[in-house]
Amino acid sequence: MKGGLGPWLVATALPVLAAAGRTGVSQPAPDAPAVELRGPEGETVRLADFKGKVVLVDFWASWCAPCQASFPMLDRLYRQRHSDGLEVLAINVDEERQAAEAFLAKRPHAMPVFFDPKGHAPEAFRVEGMPSSYLLDRRGRIRFKHVGYTSSVGAAYEREVDALLAEEAPSANP
Amino acid sequence: MPRRPLLRIHENGCEPIGRRKALLGLVVLAFGGTACATVQPWQRGRLAHECMTFDADAAGAAYEAHWQESREGAAGGFGVQSGGCGCK
Repeated sequence: MKGGLGPWLVATALPVLAAAGRTGVSQPAPDAPAVELRGPEGETVRLADFKGKVVLVDFWASWCAPCQASFPMLDRLYRQRHSDGLEVLAINVDEERQAAEAFLAKRPHAMPVFFDPKGHAPEAFRVEGMPSSYLLDRRGRIRFKHVGYTSSVGAAYEREVDALLAEEAPSANP
Repeated sequence: MPRRPLLRIHENGCEPIGRRKALLGLVVLAFGGTACATVQPWQRGRLAHECMTFDADAAGAAYEAHWQESREGAAGGFGVQSGGCGCK
């Protein structure tokens, strides 16, 4: 028995350790990851293209109940502050495009929507829950992050966006 | 020619594991590996689907759980809410 226990322990511990490694606690990244987004027609947009603007990156899905509440709020924020320099990128992570289209058909929106069925962008951002939003300053750094959504969060978004909009844009040659 | 053991833990003291035991360990390891799957928050569309709920009638189930919890002092004993999408 003495010699037979070792491999069993290893056999039990290895998958557990492997899983623990995959779900390790993520550190907030100061710089937003470089991601490419695909629009409704397949057009490609890079996150870096929006440098100089305050960018709200939102990950949503049609099956996520709080997203149904956050989506109109973010669109309202976009309509109100787009002219001031706010960009809202609503990234859909539905695996099935049809579900996303049905969701969008019921919710008229002005903010640009992108589709990432393979989840490359949420993986790069290390999204921890749905919905997740990241607020980037004009230099492309992640300054605020929200996981989940309740109606009371709307005021916080406005406050944070206004604070970042008030910051000076970086010079052309930083 | 004697068959060589597949794995050896210690050179001294411990008996080497037999080939069959080692193979069995690998099989268990393989099965253990398949049991681990990390479903990321953005991959939970299928899990969040209505058909994945245990109860056909969500309101009825909530009502039933409510009186069962209060009468039996079993609050929280029936699990917690949400479909695991990480929503707060």
